[in-house]
Amino acid sequence: MLIEIDRIAKSFGTTTALDPVSVTIPSGALVALLGPSGSGKTTLLRILGGLEYPTGGRVLFDGQDAGKLSVQERRAGFVFQSYALFRHMTVHENIAYGLRARPRRTRPTRAEIDRRVTGLLDLIQLPEIGARYPGQLSGGQRQRVALARALAIEPRMLLLDEPFGALDARVRKELRQGLREIHDRTGLTTVFVTHDQEEAMELADLVVVMSMGRIEQVGRPQDIRQRPASEFVREFTAA
Amino acid sequence: MRALVAKSPMPGFGLGMGITITMLSLVVLLPIGALVLHGLNFGLANNWQVVGTERVMASLFLSFRLALLAALFNLVFGVILAWVLARYEFPGRRVVDAIVDLPFALPTAVAGIALTALYAPNGLFGAFVRDWLAPLGNFLLSPLGVEFSGRIAYTQWGILIALVFVGLPFVVRTVQPVIAEIEREVEEASATLGASRAHTLRRVILPMLMPAALTGFALSLARAVGEYGSVIFIAGNIPMRTEIAPLLIVIRLEEFNYDAASAIGIAMLLVSFALLLVINLIQIWSRRRVGDV
Amino acid sequence: MSDIALATPLEKEAPVTRRQPVTQESRATRVTLITLCLAVLVLLVLAPLGIIFVEATRRGAASALQSLTRPEAVSAIRLTLTVAAITVPLNAGFGIAAAWAITKFDFRGKAVLITLIDLPFSISPVVVGLSLVLLFGANTALGGWLVSMGYPIVFALPAIVLASVFVTFPFVARELIPVMVEQGRAEEEAALTLGASGWRCFLTVTLPNIKWALLYGVLLCNARAMGEFGAVAVVSGKIRGQTATMPIAIEMLYNEYLSVAAFSLAGVLALLALVTLALKSALEWRHADQLAATRRH
Repeated sequence: MLIEIDRIAKSFGTTTALDPVSVTIPSGALVALLGPSGSGKTTLLRILGGLEYPTGGRVLFDGQDAGKLSVQERRAGFVFQSYALFRHMTVHENIAYGLRARPRRTRPTRAEIDRRVTGLLDLIQLPEIGARYPGQLSGGQRQRVALARALAIEPRMLLLDEPFGALDARVRKELRQGLREIHDRTGLTTVFVTHDQEEAMELADLVVVMSMGRIEQVGRPQDIRQRPASEFVREFTAA
Repeated sequence: MRALVAKSPMPGFGLGMGITITMLSLVVLLPIGALVLHGLNFGLANNWQVVGTERVMASLFLSFRLALLAALFNLVFGVILAWVLARYEFPGRRVVDAIVDLPFALPTAVAGIALTALYAPNGLFGAFVRDWLAPLGNFLLSPLGVEFSGRIAYTQWGILIALVFVGLPFVVRTVQPVIAEIEREVEEASATLGASRAHTLRRVILPMLMPAALTGFALSLARAVGEYGSVIFIAGNIPMRTEIAPLLIVIRLEEFNYDAASAIGIAMLLVSFALLLVINLIQIWSRRRVGDV
Repeated sequence: MSDIALATPLEKEAPVTRRQPVTQESRATRVTLITLCLAVLVLLVLAPLGIIFVEATRRGAASALQSLTRPEAVSAIRLTLTVAAITVPLNAGFGIAAAWAITKFDFRGKAVLITLIDLPFSISPVVVGLSLVLLFGANTALGGWLVSMGYPIVFALPAIVLASVFVTFPFVARELIPVMVEQGRAEEEAALTLGASGWRCFLTVTLPNIKWALLYGVLLCNARAMGEFGAVAVVSGKIRGQTATMPIAIEMLYNEYLSVAAFSLAGVLALLALVTLALKSALEWRHADQLAATRRH
């Protein structure tokens, strides 16, 4: 799905989180929103997901104004920084949640739900953990379950907030590869937020560098490395 | 085998433990022991004969049934009130938050006479119910053959109101901190997965609050089963109808019938222990199930 | 810069609607629930509180105050203050000792000990009174001997104090234990390595850390001790002017249809409850950090 961000602005009271920013995310791309904390990258991601309302501008999904779509209607697969798994539900129940929450007309049958959950557990390469509770999983496993839960609703795009932030270096490398593979297999337009320039450069097709509520530069990783548009980008992306 | 007391460089174990055990024994265990001993001397069969009489059974059943109803009301209302206090902004929220604890702070006898004054047939609310609410209700429900006397105080309704009053803060105070700890992201995750707000509240929030709410429910139930001060003024104390078990103990004591009093007392003690067990089981269960994420 | 951008014609194409956050219920739901809660609290809590003062001043404020100077009222107030003055320090001392032993040391049976300390919360006050009568009553071995020695327990001050200590037993310990668990042992260990004696360590390190929680527990303990009815009613014997505490005196006056006198005395206890709540709330707001742990059961 093509995502067009058209002069989106956001302020909380008197503080400006996003100066009007515009960027187009091509369909099927894997895009990193890269910037230090307070640069507005998470706010932008939350606006895409419908969790935050912009104070100005609009977002277009495949040319249609998303402003009228509620969070529930957007079908944005959102992976939270803390994963936000439902701790009183098993992994299976977590992944099935979005399907079971549908109104009866569009809800798949129980067998169909089970089939899909099993398929997703295979996809994240954790076929055996359906009966466990989130509290019994490692950090890396939780992250993958959160990803599977987001994929279960057949999302139109995948939005990830610092998806590897809470993991140690070894697991992080492993899961980066996993996200790349899942993106390539599903072909979903994927946007992830990170403050780690190495992660952005290694994983993304397109990197959006942000600072203080503005977009500093949009480009392919090697373009940003070779031709930084500003002093900020040069310093921030210096390895 | 683990040592009875782990070695520690910290001083004062003997003194602290000494005071604790001494006070606990003298103040709590010795009297309870005297009650149990009295019951044992009296004999199981005799105890059962006292408890098995119609009047005692009626009073125990009344205490337990109304306590259960009051605790159920407090469970539902307590969760709502805790949610409102934790999540909604409205003028006077802090004052309301403080007022919730009034049933803990107000002596039960004071609450008893105040509730009676309000809900007696000539009281402010009692008169309103008798003159307006009951006739209206009876008019609307007359096809069903239901008839309400319009009396609150001196009926089981009065006891129920007193028990709701004394148990009101328990659920609120156990649930409130749990609500404060819920991450917003969990609710947002539910919304991004397509769940309506109502679905989120029912399937995500409520199950998270349930262990704490059940603990509060059990505490409120335990309190209501044994409640005396706030009830006797409003109850009317008619044997078989509005006579609660603790009152029957007092009556037997005033007749110097210590055997019968202790038999009823032991029955109530067993109910308390059973409830205490339930509270502990709930806590173990919820800790095991939810764990630490 | 952002002001100019916000003023572009785009605003007219896509009007920004003020929508509620996704983690909040609709306005109608919120207003309904708030109204429901306020209504129940008014009917069940505020109205009874108000009626106490209405009934007390039914024949004028002067009459209410006058009734408080009756000898039986004065003696009831004096007895209640005496009982609280003995009960509260006893339970404060016990609470500190128990919390110290439980939080600073590891030993077997800790869970059982904590359950036993909590036991009085779930026992009916009347059963407490009954137990004391069965232990110390004049017709029991122990009670008979004590009476013959000239120390009657039941129907006298000692039993009233024992009953009050029993029903308020867990209050201070319950507030201190979670706070002390949260604070850990590191500060005390540091003090000990610096050469402080045990008492010095307690007075200069532990006590300042727990003082607000201690005060909190003492407040609750005091409110309950002054207001205890069921347990005291059984053991006091209700001797007018001698063993009638304020709650007992309220019952006696009420049963004698001396409504103004009963409600005036009740008003004094209600004011005490309000002061307790005010102090408690002030503590919660000011020292939330030090009390945070205590609000979990």
